[in-house]
Amino acid sequence: MIKKIIPVRGLVVATLVATLSLFIACKGKESKTAKKQFNLYIWSAYITDETVKKFETQTGIQVRYDTYDSNEALLEKLQSGVTEYDLVVPSDYMARILIHQGLLLELDHSKLPGAANLSSRFRNLPFDKDNKHTIPFLWGTTGIGYNKTKVTEPVDSWSILWNPKYKDRISLLDDPREVFGAALKWKGHSINTKDQKELEEARNLLIQLKPIVKTFTSGSFDEVLLSGDVWLSHGWSGQLAKAIDQNKDLAYVVPKEGSTIWVDNMAIPKGAQHLEEAYAFMNFCLNPEIAAEITNISGYPSPNEAATKFIKPEILKDPARYPDDKTLASCEFLEDLGETSTLLDRYWTEIKSR
Amino acid sequence: MRTRKLSRWFLFSESSFVYLFLYAPIVILVIYSFNSSRYAIWEGFSWKWYEILLKDQLILRSLKNTLIVALTATIASTVVGTIAALGMQRFEFRGKGVLDGLFYLPVIIPEIVMAASLVIFFGFIRFKLGLATVILAHIAFCISYVIIVVRARLEGFDRTLEEASMDLGANELQTFFRVTLPVIAPGIISGALLAFTISIDDYIITSFVAGVGSTTLPLQIYSMVKTKVTPEINAISTLLLIPTILLIVISDRLQREEK
Repeated sequence: MIKKIIPVRGLVVATLVATLSLFIACKGKESKTAKKQFNLYIWSAYITDETVKKFETQTGIQVRYDTYDSNEALLEKLQSGVTEYDLVVPSDYMARILIHQGLLLELDHSKLPGAANLSSRFRNLPFDKDNKHTIPFLWGTTGIGYNKTKVTEPVDSWSILWNPKYKDRISLLDDPREVFGAALKWKGHSINTKDQKELEEARNLLIQLKPIVKTFTSGSFDEVLLSGDVWLSHGWSGQLAKAIDQNKDLAYVVPKEGSTIWVDNMAIPKGAQHLEEAYAFMNFCLNPEIAAEITNISGYPSPNEAATKFIKPEILKDPARYPDDKTLASCEFLEDLGETSTLLDRYWTEIKSR
Repeated sequence: MRTRKLSRWFLFSESSFVYLFLYAPIVILVIYSFNSSRYAIWEGFSWKWYEILLKDQLILRSLKNTLIVALTATIASTVVGTIAALGMQRFEFRGKGVLDGLFYLPVIIPEIVMAASLVIFFGFIRFKLGLATVILAHIAFCISYVIIVVRARLEGFDRTLEEASMDLGANELQTFFRVTLPVIAPGIISGALLAFTISIDDYIITSFVAGVGSTTLPLQIYSMVKTKVTPEINAISTLLLIPTILLIVISDRLQREEK
C-alpha cells in the first residue's frame, strides 16, 4: 500500500524547531543597537576590511557596509526612500543627479576639518559647486591602453583609433559620452560642447570609425587587451593600470588633446540616522595616512594632497595613474548636457546600429 | 536497416553536442578557478583564489545572508504553499478560478515588475529595506512555485484513502499525518528544493529590496564583476556547484524511491 518514505513526524518537528531558531537568531541581532554604528554603501574594491577595522578600533563605531556595482544601483536604492545608508560614494555625474533630485544632505563643513587636505584641483567641481554635498574620494582618467609590441607608432593622440592599420584590434567604451568625447577632443572641441556642428562632425568621424572597431565594452576593455584580442583599448585608468601590472607589454596614455577626468565622492543621503558617525568616517578617510592606504590598496589615485607623501612611489610615478599636470589640465569633467543629450543618444543609436 | 543506423548515429551526435553546449562553459569556469593569473590566460595551477575567498569577509557575510534567506524562505513558503495547495484542492467556492490564477502570477510576470512593485510597496508602508524585506520578497515568489509543484502531486491523490482511514477510526489530524502527508511528501520536498534553489540564485528582486547588511551572494558576485576579480568569482561559482549537484542527486533519489 503506502510506503512510509520518510519519518514524517520527525520532519515536521524539525521544521518547526528550525523556523523558530532562525526567527530568534534574526530577532536577537536586531535588538542590540546600544553600540554606536553606521551604514556605508560603497563601490566594491574601494575599501578593505582592514581599513574598516582600523576605523572601528579608533572610534568605537561599528561599520556595516555593502558594496554596489553601478551608479544606477545606488540611485535605485536611494530613490526607494527606505534605505538606512548613512554614507554613499556616487561618481560625478550621478552625484549631480542625486543633488538634483534632492536625495543628498547639505554637508556641514565645520564638521569636516579633514577637507582641508584636498587638492584644490578637486574642490568646487562643476557638478557640486563649493562641495555643498560631496567630498572627493578617489579619481581617475579615460584614455587608451595599448600593446607596445603590436602598435609600432607612438600612441599620443586620439587619431590612432582611426588608423585603418588596426582594423578589428580596437575596443571602445560602450558609453556615448566617452566615445563622443574622444572624437570631440581629437578635433579640439570640449567634451561638453552643445554646438550642433561640432557634434555632427564627431558623429561623422564615429561613423567612419565603426567598421574598424572590434567591440564596444565598458566592462572588459582590460581583458581584451590582456588576451591579445585587441591592441588599442579605450578605457578607464584604474582597470588599465591593473592590467599593466600584469603584463609589462602594455601601456596607458591620456592623449595629448585631452580627455575625461572622473571622480567618485562621499556623500550623505537625506534622512541618514547616524550623522555624527558618517562625519567621523569622512574625516577618517580624509586623514592623509588613511587616504594613502586606500590608494595603495585599490590602486586608484587620491584627491588628497596631504596623502601624497604616504602613497607608494611606484603608484605616484605611474603615468597611467597620475598623469602630469599638463595632461590633467587638458582633461574635463563630464557635465550635464541638458537637452543636447537626446541628440547625442540619437546619434549613438545610429552609430551603434550600423 | 541503414536508416536506423544513421538515425542512431545522428541522435547520438546531436545529444552529445547538446551536452557539450550546456556543460563546456561550466567546465572551463571550474578549470579557470585554479588559474594562477588574474586574467583569462592560463599561467599555471594554484589554490590561491580559494584561499583569498575563504579570507574574504564580504563573501563570507554574503554567503551567510544567502543561507539565512534561502532557509527561512524555503521553510515558510513550503508550509504556507502546502496548506494553500491542500485548501485549493479540497474546497469549491466562488472565485476559486481567479484565486488560482493569482497564485500563478508571480511565476509568469517579469521579475523586474515584481521587484519594482515590492520596492514601491515597502516604500509606501515605510518598511526599511534589510534582511527582513529580502526574506519577505523571497517567501512571496517561492510560495507560487511550491503551490504549483504540490498541486501537481495532489492531482493523482486518491481521496478515498482519507475516507478509509476515517472509517477505521482515525481523527482528521491522524489521517493527515499518517495518510495524506506521506503520499504528498515527495511533492512537498520537490517544491521545497525548487524554492531553495530559486531563492539562492535570485538576483533581480533581491537587488531591489536589499538594504543595509543584507547583501546576498549573487549581489556580491555581481558587484565584484565590475571590479574584475574574475578568478575569485570562478572559485565561488565552483563551490556553489557542489551543493547544487548534491540537491539534484537527492531530488532524483526521491523521485526514484516513488517508482
